[in-house]
Amino acid sequence: MKSSYLRAGAALACALTLSACGGSDGNMLLGGAFSGVTKTGLVLTNNGGSELTINPTGTGSGEFYFPGLVDTDDSYNVQIKPGSIPSNAEKCEAFYNTGRVVYDVTSIRIVCTLKKHALKGTITGLTGANLVLVNGSDRVAVAAGATSFTLTDVSEDAPYGVNVLTQPDNQTCTVANGSGTMGANDVTNVAVTCGPRT
Amino acid sequence: MKSNLIRPAGALVLALALASCGGGDDDKFTVQGSVEGLQYGGLVLQNNGGKDLAVNPPATGTSVSFAFPDKIEYGDVYNVTIKTPPAHQTCGASNLAPASLSDTAGRLAAIDVRIVCDLNAKPVGGTITGLTKDNTGLVLANGSNTGTYTPTLEAITADKPFLYSLPVQVQYGVTYSVTVITQPVGRFCTVANAAGTMGDAEITNVNVTCVPR
Repeated sequence: MKSSYLRAGAALACALTLSACGGSDGNMLLGGAFSGVTKTGLVLTNNGGSELTINPTGTGSGEFYFPGLVDTDDSYNVQIKPGSIPSNAEKCEAFYNTGRVVYDVTSIRIVCTLKKHALKGTITGLTGANLVLVNGSDRVAVAAGATSFTLTDVSEDAPYGVNVLTQPDNQTCTVANGSGTMGANDVTNVAVTCGPRT
Repeated sequence: MKSNLIRPAGALVLALALASCGGGDDDKFTVQGSVEGLQYGGLVLQNNGGKDLAVNPPATGTSVSFAFPDKIEYGDVYNVTIKTPPAHQTCGASNLAPASLSDTAGRLAAIDVRIVCDLNAKPVGGTITGLTKDNTGLVLANGSNTGTYTPTLEAITADKPFLYSLPVQVQYGVTYSVTVITQPVGRFCTVANAAGTMGDAEITNVNVTCVPR
């Protein structure tokens, strides 16, 4: 009789200990890195709950960790909450997002692909060769006589700033409407005007 | 008689076996490896502070292999160091094999030193002139992929010119193009020396001058 009480007590203690270990009482991180997040809205879930809002960054890249820690052998399933894709993103996908915790999980990747729009404009008066226009690291060489130019497409909501990197032979060009923030439509009003070298 | 023939034959076999094991270069190790991402000349490696070994960029591809001419014995320690970095780049042990530059010969079947070189990156910036505490809101950017810069309230409250640099450094040989994305309250700002190509030094002459509207 006595031993059966003990046995029940031991089982109860054991159950309590186990329940205390599971859930969010662990000591392992659950997270990873994201890219393409430049606007608010994106929410991640783990196992259908514990929502995590991703704070956008200027470059779109950063790291995230769920506030609740996880425990060894917990299974995780990180998903993008339906409807939470930022308005400037074409799509967001999760990679390496399911598994069982062995150690800190830092390998989850959230990749949002931003909508992109054209950045182009007109050129007037260009007779000299060797004009080079730049938007940051992107550059385009423009031939003598050209009347238009196109730079690499720019992500929606990203800044852009067109400048002359190299002036054409014997001429000086200036840029109007050269900077701003890319909206939902192509930018086509950048105007480059070239005249005699000043 | 029979045993007399067997004995010399056995000795011969033994001698041959020993020769193939020891002697020659068979127990020596070549200190060798590869350099990933090398784009410019000038890289000089040394092993244990010994003779210089110049490594040049590969004609094609992204990786070039190297081998020190002097072999080392089983059990010798090797320690490959970068005596001189290449022009415009910084090199170090690969993240994939962080301990591969130094070890003991023979611990692994072959020595495989992994070095990775990255282009140097430097800040782009200059001096901002003409802002006061009332002229908040200036936003600068370098193209589209490196975020934006806004001066702190602390910086503009001092009522005097201050230095700034953009948040993301620019790699050697890459162009930059700084523009005003948003003009501040009550001022119109222009950018001097706004575009260029990154060299070996930090860019400090992209000066922003703001005047009353």
